[in-house]
Amino acid sequence: MTLSKQPRDTLAVPRWLYLATGGATIGASALLASFVTDRAFIRYLHNWSLPGPTIDDWWTPIRWIGRSLGIFVLGLAVYLGLTGPQLPTASFTILVTFVVVRAGLPMLTYLGGNVWPALNPWRGIVSLLPAGHRTYPKELARWPAVGGLLLLVWIEVIFPVSTIPSTLSIVILGYSAVTIAGAVLFGPDAWFENADPISVLFRFFGAVAPVKRRDGKLTVKLPGSDLTDSDLITGTSDVAFVIALIWELTYSGFITTQTGAATIEALVSLSNIGVGAVQIRAILIYTLLFVSGYVVFFAAYWYAGVLSRRRTGTYITAKRIAFRFAPSLLAIAAGYHLAHYTGLAVSLSPALGMAIVSPLSPPANPLTLSPPGWFEGLSIAYVLIGHLLAIWAAHATAYELFSSRLVAIRSQYPFIGVMIGYTVISLWILSLPGATPPYLP
Amino acid sequence: MSYEGTIISQSESPTVRCDYCRHPFPTTDRLVLHKGIEHPQQLNDSEEKAFFSAQADEEDELRTLRLKALGGLVLLYFGLLFMYAIFA
Repeated sequence: MTLSKQPRDTLAVPRWLYLATGGATIGASALLASFVTDRAFIRYLHNWSLPGPTIDDWWTPIRWIGRSLGIFVLGLAVYLGLTGPQLPTASFTILVTFVVVRAGLPMLTYLGGNVWPALNPWRGIVSLLPAGHRTYPKELARWPAVGGLLLLVWIEVIFPVSTIPSTLSIVILGYSAVTIAGAVLFGPDAWFENADPISVLFRFFGAVAPVKRRDGKLTVKLPGSDLTDSDLITGTSDVAFVIALIWELTYSGFITTQTGAATIEALVSLSNIGVGAVQIRAILIYTLLFVSGYVVFFAAYWYAGVLSRRRTGTYITAKRIAFRFAPSLLAIAAGYHLAHYTGLAVSLSPALGMAIVSPLSPPANPLTLSPPGWFEGLSIAYVLIGHLLAIWAAHATAYELFSSRLVAIRSQYPFIGVMIGYTVISLWILSLPGATPPYLP
Repeated sequence: MSYEGTIISQSESPTVRCDYCRHPFPTTDRLVLHKGIEHPQQLNDSEEKAFFSAQADEEDELRTLRLKALGGLVLLYFGLLFMYAIFA
């Protein structure tokens, strides 16, 4: 269902011109950003904040209520998935998982603030158990979360989790088992900070958000102004996670287009060497495309770091440059997510309402809205806005990293190149006619 | 701007280091700018003078760069305008 086909209008201008315009928008905004050379002004914008209410006293009760609610919803979702109606648009399990957790909560996170720590049902369960029998191995960094995220997306593509509620329930049970076991073994702090893909995802998206909880206080900042923080990305695995966020949205966008479906079909028929069923080969092709595209996206970003170092002649390592610029990619990921999931969230919100009101006996044929045509234009706008925010974040980061302003401007060029590449690819996907991914159940 | 996370390979040119934080720089200009921005309290008079003159030089170069950026923007604008006039 998240991988469903959507009708797409044909373009009024040639596709290459539309793509060139998108790329040029990013390039032009980078040129415009280079006019802002006042260090004090940039610092002022990024430090601007509005102090909000102190929530320290409220935090514990909020957390208990939120997590209890989370545990209740988790239990109900698993139970109803196994026993309830096996219809995607009438299933509480599917609607809560995809409309709320996959679409709605991340939107709330990057547009508002990260509320996941107060809702996380698994953390709620683990806090009742004796935990922390081993120390989390430092050298693993956040690689388990990267692997977990890629695995979850792979499962979403290959298995019918978004159409058959009982399959989804089994996946949720499996995820819960791994999460609870891991958190009990290594302690909840270490596990949810490093190894749990969902918590890490919300934490990273929360970095884009305007509302933050800091020292027990809520503060409002300009969106994306924390993307220059040097303590946000501290390892290669963090960069890998951010790139995975961008890549999974690009990939699931691509396979739901006619071009994507045709590519898969062509590769599957090419791989026909007389052994293996079509289904198995298709899964292999899907996996191969998923992994290789991710490697290309990652390598492109990493190479930008190397180029940036070479062009500026700095002694700062390419790795550290890549770490510092990686947070700006989170704004791009947020833009992609909004472009990808707004339609789904809007069209299924009445069905979700019905499923919440009467989870045990939802109407068999609930109302689904079909978003109007201008939603398409809105998606393009979301992608571009995400990129513009990223361009600005990269500009501000460069000024923090380099004392010479000329060097700071020059250091951004390779990253702007990569960002233009990402934009053009995602705008291209948005312009393609939709299709259902072939060979999948 | 810490001194960690830097590396100087064999092939790279000789380097200057910041007296206060040991951060290496490929040119004296960049070291002077770094000192002025990161350690403004610790500067002596000559270092301060050097910083202001380096900043003035930088301002000149930035002006050239801004002109180039403006040229780029104009080129981009008219390029797209013509493309739209022809193809759309």
